[in-house]
Amino acid sequence: MTATVTAPTAVAEPSSRVRPNEIWRIVRLHTVNPSIFFLVPALVLGGAWVITMVIALILLGAGVPMESTGFEYSWAVLSPQWYLIVVGVQAVSYTFPFALGFGATRRDYWIGTGVMFALASLLYAVVIATLLVVERATGGWGIGAGMFEALWYVGADWAIAFYTTFALQLLVLFIGAGVTTVFMRWRMRGMLTLAAGGVVVILAIIAAFTFSESWDELGRWLASIGLVGVFTLLLVKALAWAVAGFLVIRRATPR
Amino acid sequence: MTSIVASTRGLTKRYGAFTAIDGIDFDLEEGRIYGLLGRNGAGKTTVMQLLTGQIFPDGGTLEVFGRPPAEHADVLRRLCFIAESQRYPEDFTPAHVFAAAPWFFERWDAAFAERLVADFRLPVKRRIKKLSRGQLSAVGVIVGLASRAPLTFFDEPYLGLDAVARHLFYDRLLEDYAEHPRTILLSTHLIDEVANLLEHVILIDQGRILLDRDAEDVRGSATSVAGPRAVVERFVAERPVIGRDDIGGLASVTVDGRLDRDERIRAAELGLELAPVSLQQLIIHLTGAETAGTPEKEVAA
Repeated sequence: MTATVTAPTAVAEPSSRVRPNEIWRIVRLHTVNPSIFFLVPALVLGGAWVITMVIALILLGAGVPMESTGFEYSWAVLSPQWYLIVVGVQAVSYTFPFALGFGATRRDYWIGTGVMFALASLLYAVVIATLLVVERATGGWGIGAGMFEALWYVGADWAIAFYTTFALQLLVLFIGAGVTTVFMRWRMRGMLTLAAGGVVVILAIIAAFTFSESWDELGRWLASIGLVGVFTLLLVKALAWAVAGFLVIRRATPR
Repeated sequence: MTSIVASTRGLTKRYGAFTAIDGIDFDLEEGRIYGLLGRNGAGKTTVMQLLTGQIFPDGGTLEVFGRPPAEHADVLRRLCFIAESQRYPEDFTPAHVFAAAPWFFERWDAAFAERLVADFRLPVKRRIKKLSRGQLSAVGVIVGLASRAPLTFFDEPYLGLDAVARHLFYDRLLEDYAEHPRTILLSTHLIDEVANLLEHVILIDQGRILLDRDAEDVRGSATSVAGPRAVVERFVAERPVIGRDDIGGLASVTVDGRLDRDERIRAAELGLELAPVSLQQLIIHLTGAETAGTPEKEVAA
């Protein structure tokens, strides 16, 4: 090269390991288009509520007694979950490559995304737990409809509804994002390995419980830890996905 | 005095059995406009992805602002790279992109970005996946210019842009570069379009560097000699020939290196026509000859 060239410019200041601004800007990046985390889940939940109301009116019109409507078997309260697993996938497949182009590190991206997931789960948990209480207080929105008083929410208080929703929500988001980090790092080969590995693990667990005839024991144990215990297991699983996703995304490469 | 902002030695990237980047060495100096030129699939985008830490090298060393770029926040915040096939978050509009930009680029100039949006007539409320190829290129160009990152990458910025927009990019880049000097690496296979913009040319082909030279030197570095074939052949006999076209009894031969005054006079006396070779023609000669000999590598690409 030319004679005027000197040594490479050194980086002025090595930045600290904790970079709140770098992490918070990832949260802001996720919310700059509010439809993804807020508008669409609200629409899905609202849509499910409207459908539930219509069904309740039909049942009311047909004279079906309130105690035999079967609303407690409705999955309407879980309707946003299907969309939110896609949000988890897209957070890594679309937003991650974009953030890298904007100069974010993988580490800051994953931590920021985890913060976003936690805040979103917190919000949804508050909303669903509160709507459950409202539904109960209004006698099923005045017409005996039961959208939130369903599944494990039947009889649950605000705190339990909040905690179980939060744990499930975090798990759903982190599974979507975590699985996608595997694709981002190892592409199709990684996905097939993950799927095959998952099947093998599940079959091994089934075999272990079947041969040792301990299904009843498992049932008793789950019953003994109760609703809160079971959802604590889900929360632990969510955190495991968060840690695994962090390890995988550190060497992930966008296309 | 200039300093080096990025430097590679023996940099290698493999995808399975295919070697995309085959042990390349180059330096990028502060405050220059570099052209990263080469054919489709030559490895231009791969070089940019390596320099921005988006992908990891398989061999050699790579330093950007004195460090390997991947996962170094203090390096990455000085870079801006919008890839030609950049992915954007689901349902993003250009307005979302420009709203987020100042959080990532500390020198972001929102007023400049706004002016560029008007210049390029970019519909900022339209979803990115509904934009035309040219409008998509404009998003990358606007982010690249308004970010004023110390090391800015433009990956095929001309793709799909109309003549007016290409001219706008050219003008705005030079104006802003004069006021806010920085290092720019621009990749393209549309060489004539950017030839006048470039201060330095790095030509890659099949993952190797064919040329790494000052653009001014490159422009005068080859001459084409045209005339009756026998006369041309005699005139160029002693010179390295890098290209040849024959039409009937006439020949046009491109020779490497400059002709001195005596040679020019002799050529005129022989009735030969001398013409400078454009950057694009020179590169066609350099990369066309190279690839013709190794067709099996092209298949692997």
